Amino acid sequence: MTEREPQSGADQAVTGVVDTDIHTRSRAERIVDFLPEAWRRRWLSGSRGAPLPGYWNPGGVVRSDAITADGEGLDFSPEGMAKEFLDAYGVDIAIVNHDGLSAALCPDPDYAAAMVSAFNDHHIADWLSADPRFRLSLVVSPMDPVRAAAEIHRLGDHPGVVQVLLPGGSILPYGHSFYHPIYEAAVAHDLPVATHPGTEGAGPTGQTSAAGYASRYLEWHTGLSNYVSAQLLSVVTEGVFQRFPTLRWVLLEGGVSWLPPLMWRFDKNWKALRRTTPWLDRPPSEIICERVRLSTQPLEEPPKLAHFRAMLEMFPAEEMLMFSSDFPHWDGDTPDFAGRAFAPAMRHRVMSETAREFYRLGPARG
Amino acid sequence: MSSRTQSRETVVGHVDELPPGTRKIVDVDGTSVGVFNVNGTLVAYRNRCPHERAPVCLGGVDGTTLVSAPGEHVWGRAGEILMCPWHGWEFDLLTGQCLTDRRRLHRYDVVVEDTEIRVLH
Repeated sequence: MTEREPQSGADQAVTGVVDTDIHTRSRAERIVDFLPEAWRRRWLSGSRGAPLPGYWNPGGVVRSDAITADGEGLDFSPEGMAKEFLDAYGVDIAIVNHDGLSAALCPDPDYAAAMVSAFNDHHIADWLSADPRFRLSLVVSPMDPVRAAAEIHRLGDHPGVVQVLLPGGSILPYGHSFYHPIYEAAVAHDLPVATHPGTEGAGPTGQTSAAGYASRYLEWHTGLSNYVSAQLLSVVTEGVFQRFPTLRWVLLEGGVSWLPPLMWRFDKNWKALRRTTPWLDRPPSEIICERVRLSTQPLEEPPKLAHFRAMLEMFPAEEMLMFSSDFPHWDGDTPDFAGRAFAPAMRHRVMSETAREFYRLGPARG
Repeated sequence: MSSRTQSRETVVGHVDELPPGTRKIVDVDGTSVGVFNVNGTLVAYRNRCPHERAPVCLGGVDGTTLVSAPGEHVWGRAGEILMCPWHGWEFDLLTGQCLTDRRRLHRYDVVVEDTEIRVLH
């Protein structure tokens, strides 16, 4: 890891940072240790999930400077990540969203379930045990919700597990009843359900939009917020939050600025179309604000910071936004950079308190 | 070109240390600075990205695709483009200007005297 410039005093005002999205990479030979014998040959042959249709980032997805002194990627190393990221930025708690998301969308639902279980077990064994600041999202495969529910029941009460994580791409939007077993299991363990991008267009998820396939990484990545809003619209419209009154939902890495106009459109249409969804007994925006939280990254960067802050006044941002760095990925927001983006009046909530309340993490240490 | 008053010089190395295509990260009065030999031209920039303060001078140096018509991909500017290791922003090493944003790298003048490379600051 490389040096960083010293920060000004104002930048250091944020303490007890909770980072709701950091990333790991797993060594193939370590995943084998957690796979049943019947799946090991397939894994070792290189069949490991659902690849994207060839999008390419010239700088790489992982920051090239995020390496240990030995030249190893920090995201392979719990110790390296703790020292070079958590220590360096004063992160108090970091939620690991691991690299099993593309395995979760393997078209073979049995193999998908086996792979995500191996990734989950590997992270409990090697990451949660390495540093008390790490927390884990339990990745489950949406290809077979009954198996996914079994995985939640198997590991959902582990003290380091804080939520259930689904890939952002899916074969059917997440509001459908097909997925109810996942939500039933999540609420049984009082775990929120989150989605995270990266698999949109991968494997069986189909085209990257109704317009067809994106051509390039730039087009695909810029459009990721469309999947986030599509899943949100589905979950709210289908009445998932009425069927599961204690279910809480998290939209990871979708950015923020699309949310206020989406809620305006949603409420306006609901006023005319409510009879098609009679379970929606109040404006959809109220349901969203109560039950849904968003991670902050990638922060939009309009030319004027005042425009970003004005956007945050259009919804209860201090109650809904939870800081995320996406470290060590190319589109990440470091804690100091994100902290400066938020007005002082909401900074502490976004950088720490909202996530502590939502994930029931307890107060900051020290 | 920096418009600041430049009153001091710091020797940062010998010309033999920095053949074309290489770089050196040096300390100039407590500030990390990247000195680059861009195809024979010595340039120096503060090692701090104007975006999120990344150590930009540790990024990859290469050419890039030139502005072109839709569907054409023309490689050029060999050795003149620095890519920030954090977010991939490209900077013109000859001017410090970012190719995709108004911001630019903080530039220092460089002179060679008696085979010593000196950064003015």
